[in-house]
Amino acid sequence: MVILERIGFFFQTVIHIASDPVHIAILFGSVILGIIFGAMPGLTSTLGVALLTALTYGMDTATAMLCLLAIYVGGTYGGSYASILINIPGTAASAATALDGYPLACKGEGGRAIGLTTTASAIGTIISMLFLVSISPLISFFALQFTSFEFFLLAFFGILISGTLTSPDLVIKGWISGFLGLFLACVGRDLLQYYPRFTFGIPELDSGVEVVPVLIGAFGIPQIIQVLKDQFQIGETQKFQRIFPEFGTIFRNIPKIVRSALIGVGIGAVPGIGEDIAAWVSYGAAKNASKHPERFGTGEYTAVLSTEVANNACVGGAMIPLLNLGIPGSPPAAMLLGALMLHGVTPGPMITFEHPNFIIEVAAILLLASLTMWVVGMVLAKQVVKVLRIPTQIFMPIIGVLCIIGSYALGMNIYNLYLMLPVGIISYFLIEMGYPIAPLVIGVILGPMADENLRRALMVSQGSFLPVFTRPVALILFLIIVWTVLSQFQLFKDFKNKLVSKIFPRKAGKAELLPKGETKPPEEN
Amino acid sequence: MMDKDKLRKTDIYSGAAICLFGLWVILQALKMPMKDSWGGVQNVWYVSPAIFPLFVGCMIMLLGALLCRTALKMVGFKAFGQTVRWLLSKALLQFFNSIPNLRFYTIVVLFFSFVFLTIPRIDFFLCAFLFLTVFITSFYFDDAMLLKKLFFFYLAGIIVLILYFAFGVNDPLSQIVPFPADILTTCFIISYSVYAWMLIRSNPKLRKKYRIAMIVAVVSPLVVGMIFKYFLLVPMPSEGLVVAITDYFWYLEF
Repeated sequence: MVILERIGFFFQTVIHIASDPVHIAILFGSVILGIIFGAMPGLTSTLGVALLTALTYGMDTATAMLCLLAIYVGGTYGGSYASILINIPGTAASAATALDGYPLACKGEGGRAIGLTTTASAIGTIISMLFLVSISPLISFFALQFTSFEFFLLAFFGILISGTLTSPDLVIKGWISGFLGLFLACVGRDLLQYYPRFTFGIPELDSGVEVVPVLIGAFGIPQIIQVLKDQFQIGETQKFQRIFPEFGTIFRNIPKIVRSALIGVGIGAVPGIGEDIAAWVSYGAAKNASKHPERFGTGEYTAVLSTEVANNACVGGAMIPLLNLGIPGSPPAAMLLGALMLHGVTPGPMITFEHPNFIIEVAAILLLASLTMWVVGMVLAKQVVKVLRIPTQIFMPIIGVLCIIGSYALGMNIYNLYLMLPVGIISYFLIEMGYPIAPLVIGVILGPMADENLRRALMVSQGSFLPVFTRPVALILFLIIVWTVLSQFQLFKDFKNKLVSKIFPRKAGKAELLPKGETKPPEEN
Repeated sequence: MMDKDKLRKTDIYSGAAICLFGLWVILQALKMPMKDSWGGVQNVWYVSPAIFPLFVGCMIMLLGALLCRTALKMVGFKAFGQTVRWLLSKALLQFFNSIPNLRFYTIVVLFFSFVFLTIPRIDFFLCAFLFLTVFITSFYFDDAMLLKKLFFFYLAGIIVLILYFAFGVNDPLSQIVPFPADILTTCFIISYSVYAWMLIRSNPKLRKKYRIAMIVAVVSPLVVGMIFKYFLLVPMPSEGLVVAITDYFWYLEF
């Protein structure tokens, strides 16, 4: 009965949103804006969500979510335009699409490729929405059994795994970035005793570091500096004719779509890992499973399909930990968390009690956003692509003004700007030195949760760490954390290889025959 | 991002700096109440506000040291010595004078002057117009020499504005003339625009770019500002000359 009621409410919400012209206008406007943000190299969906958050301040929560989720979905999809037509990924998430999308455009099949990415992206989002609705109650149920130790370890794990997987250079740098974020979260009066920490007598710092200006600074300012400093130029756009929905290709590749969607949802659900990793993993999996891996990189439709399904499936995947645990699954989801908090919704296990229908509302919005994205992609793609002609030297300064007014408008506090700019400049230097920014942002968001839960847990256990080893979930999380850390050290890798060779001597012997760096024997032609 | 070789060299310094930062966090955390009373409550170590910053500080220090060690192990002390020598040589000055760095300084100076100098003191529309005019013309012309000239002109103007506010000229002047800082900024914008025009007037391609830049610089703040001020009801950080005019027209009863 409960399930039927939920399905009923889901369709009721869909009809409610779809029957309101204002909602439809917002949906189309946000999706188009998202696609523009995604398509423009140098702009990202995270920045789009960040800037739009300021505009949603006066809206009710449902309308604000409609706006922000639509821009998130549109932004993730929009990146494929630049990837296919100019061979420059509009966003990191669509970098893998460029490998096969651009060769297709060069062959004069750009319209087909865009049609395929449009349908694949819509399918990816819809599948992830189904996962969000079906898995959420289960995760919420388990999360309610969590105590403070589990929440502390979960936050800690989120920062570590985000640092491990997003680091473009050494993994240590990802972890450092995460801990710098945790330090920023320490600034202000602590939540249990209201003791001022790192405030230096500045009253504006008493309430702590505002998340949204930090996010805008960390993602927006470095982007502006990088694009203008390195004189980034947008190349010549490949021409394309009609756009086809490519249903035939879609039907022929249903198992591949399901696999890519599973990868997208799975990676999206891991804290702090974005759409880019999902797309690359999916691309790799598609290539490994293909009968013709040599065609990958020369304009293979299944490659474009797999990356686009995965990166859009990541959207719903990222919502799963965000809504049920309060841990963002990706950088744009981190921004959404900030927006939700502004609107008085605190994601976490209690969301099912405080806002019982919220997850269904989010699912309904995701469905409508993906359908809108499909319609916009099919009908307006040619017009949207025209934004690629705007020189970066013109739109980047405007983004700068938007970053500033957006940071100020949230709380109408000029002090937000004094915080946003230094964070942005420091983030730029960190990026230049190979430090990822996503863990820093995740650290700022999860810091208060980690701090509060660590102390609360120790209060309950009277200063004992023993519950970490006596509580099964805490122990599993602790072991995963230890594994994540140790697996980065050569000593541990050597030990693991020795252990494997002792247990499976034949497998190890075969591996020894392979050239260095090769893990799989070459396929025989 | 830099190439791997350069990254390892910078890792030595960034690792050391992060390690020192971690140490500073620990020292600050140690000043927080651990077992003493705070707000009438006797503390125990595990509820102390210092516990989490201590943990974070220790981790930052440890990871910074680890990064420094890893980088040193990879590039060796010889490369470290080479970097130190490079830092003390004339090559460093050449590096600072390079064109990409000039672009970087321009962006940073523009942002810092916008956020810390003009936004809190000058009408938002005017300071956004100034920011966009300088920003777009400097980069859109795509010429290093022009960038240098325009940047130094802007810097001179900013120094005048800093002196104007630092010596407290604004307050007595505002008793005589309304919005003196806004009028000064308007003069600055006009003189900058004229100077930029004089630099590019002989080049038809740049003249077109100039026109586009000026249109974008005027229209964007008006559109963005209007949305925030009149539709989202967000008061501008500083409201002066232009806001007074727009307010007059917006609230005019026909």
